[in-house]
Amino acid sequence: MAVIDSTAIPRKPTQVNRQARTAWGLATPALALMFLILLVPVVVAAVLSFTNYSLGNSGFDWVGFKNYGRLFTRSTYEKMFIATFSYVVVVVPVSVALGLGAALLVNSLGRFGDVYKTIYFLPVMATLLAMAIVWEFMLHPTIGVINQTLEMACGTVLEVIPFVAKGCADGFPLWLGDKDYAIWVLCFIGIWQGFGFNMVLYLAGLTAVHRELYHAAEMDGAKSAWEWFRLVTWPALGPTTVFVVTISCIRAFQVFDTVEAFWPQGGGPNKSTYVMMFAIFEKGVQQNLIGIGSAITMLFLVFVMFLTLIQRWLVERKVHY
Amino acid sequence: MAGLSINSITKRFGETEVLRDVTLDIADAEFVSLVGPSGCGKSTLLRIIAGLEDPTGGEIAIDGEAVTGMRAADRNLSMVFQSYALYPHLTVAENIAVPLRMRSLSAGQRLPVIGPFLPGSKDKRAEITAAVKDAAEMLEIGALLDRKPGQLSGGQRQRVALGRALVRSPAAFLLDEPLSNLDAKLRVQTRAEIAQLHRRLNATFIYVTHDQVEAMTMSDRIAVMMDGEILQCDSPSIIYEDPNDIRVAEFIGSPKINILPVELHERTLSLFDKPVGRTAIGAKAGVYQLGLRPEAIHLAKSDPLLTGTVAHVENLGAEVFAQVELAGQTARVTCRAAPAARDQLRLGAEIGLSFDLADALIFDADGKRQRGVEVTLDQPVEAA
Repeated sequence: MAVIDSTAIPRKPTQVNRQARTAWGLATPALALMFLILLVPVVVAAVLSFTNYSLGNSGFDWVGFKNYGRLFTRSTYEKMFIATFSYVVVVVPVSVALGLGAALLVNSLGRFGDVYKTIYFLPVMATLLAMAIVWEFMLHPTIGVINQTLEMACGTVLEVIPFVAKGCADGFPLWLGDKDYAIWVLCFIGIWQGFGFNMVLYLAGLTAVHRELYHAAEMDGAKSAWEWFRLVTWPALGPTTVFVVTISCIRAFQVFDTVEAFWPQGGGPNKSTYVMMFAIFEKGVQQNLIGIGSAITMLFLVFVMFLTLIQRWLVERKVHY
Repeated sequence: MAGLSINSITKRFGETEVLRDVTLDIADAEFVSLVGPSGCGKSTLLRIIAGLEDPTGGEIAIDGEAVTGMRAADRNLSMVFQSYALYPHLTVAENIAVPLRMRSLSAGQRLPVIGPFLPGSKDKRAEITAAVKDAAEMLEIGALLDRKPGQLSGGQRQRVALGRALVRSPAAFLLDEPLSNLDAKLRVQTRAEIAQLHRRLNATFIYVTHDQVEAMTMSDRIAVMMDGEILQCDSPSIIYEDPNDIRVAEFIGSPKINILPVELHERTLSLFDKPVGRTAIGAKAGVYQLGLRPEAIHLAKSDPLLTGTVAHVENLGAEVFAQVELAGQTARVTCRAAPAARDQLRLGAEIGLSFDLADALIFDADGKRQRGVEVTLDQPVEAA
């Protein structure tokens, strides 16, 4: 044994070296691609955010933090932040809660579950741009089906509702053209479009809940559906919830196509729906102000990175058992 | 603590009949095992007793009170599941506390932040903590109370599951194969501990297992189930020594009982068409099956009843089991021998086997036990 050991020891480091070399060799293509298509553009954007570069110009000047300064002083960008955060704060909780509720209901159904699954998932599969046209028709102030339906309530008992009474007297809202309503309509469409996706994620999470835990809960004296949910379902869905919330946040920050479809001329009535993605598009692409566009992009990246870090922290600390 | 009575329970899943007319009375503080091969309906019966499944017909009564149709949460029974079914997000202490929290705290008092400050909550919570501590100490898991189930070994999880069951005083404990996920050594140890726990708590235990050793070592009575029926329910020694049915005899005992076909012509028994020089009294002529435990067969010094070659030997140290391929037959016979006989039991060795017919269990062709049959040494008719 001793003889074998003494010959084996010097051989080991070379073996380790060879293994390490192979590992690096195999990882190189992935690393190269990651640098080229992920890290380099981010660094380029970060550098450009400190300049006044425009596409086609031969050179640029360093402007320091001027672009970032603008973001936090100009009223346009204040509106951008208000619109973006209103959208995120409304859409994320509502679409997560609706997704969970729909998943629980669909899961409790036997045969018709699949039908509901398909129905709720349809908006996710449909192109939002095409759907936006349908919404635009429905929300049209005079010929839209929504306001026409609301008008049917005039002269009935429903007029006790202040909103209906006001609408019957002064006309119903313009929806997409009204600065008080536009952002909420946008939120509504975002929720309508997004909760089906969350439902599918929650349905996947529900299949992982151990059946026997419900029986244990029943034996332990949990009688109502709520007690079962609190004791078994909700804790088991912890990892799913963290994932769903993060994904929903990132998707909410990325909202763009609805805004572009409804208000291609610039962020809705009084810039009330001037969300970050649209601002990046408008500044960086339409107006060719690469510097300011890059600055918004960097800010957007910071938000998303922050969310991802919170998710990592939660996943590692809280929800894994 | 209470007795249980199960009265002609039937259960059908669609066309398949899982339980047929099962009747069983369990006395207060009794340890009854439901044992049988997988798919015999034993777990279904336990779940029907628990209230997790509804029977198609029949009644269940706990302590004389009919509970059929009552939901599981109201039956005051505790259950230990095969997978333990611990709540993964709760610590050991919280897991054990769940049955008490659900029963003694109101919905408001269970709320996470304001719950502890509601009137009456503090005293009840102190009681629960004390009860959890007692249960944990009884099971020697006091040091694990702050851990999550994910950080425990299989044996420790099993104890937590037991703790959750015994923290309150239920009418009966239901255990669904609680040892099947443990390794062999731990299983033997836990087996003894559960039997001890039963004596200490003096409670009714219903224990489901497919392992006949567990059933034999722990139970007051064993109910052997097969194809949705209870074939026999008796004490372990009766089940082993005096089974009613060939299926019971075959299921209980390791190695398995040897079954040899015998024929009875005019009171003369013949084994493999060879008269064995014995007379059976009290039975009609026909084909019977002879059940012989491995310990009933011994190596013959002279005049063997069976001859064959040793095909396989299992040496367990304290005893040796040999599988003998009978001459001219495909059947194998297992016999037990003392370690001293190891030299004789070399593979391929020709040996003779003998047995005392008084030790044999006689079954008819359908496997029903024939009790009135008496076997005597052959007395030639003309000599009588």
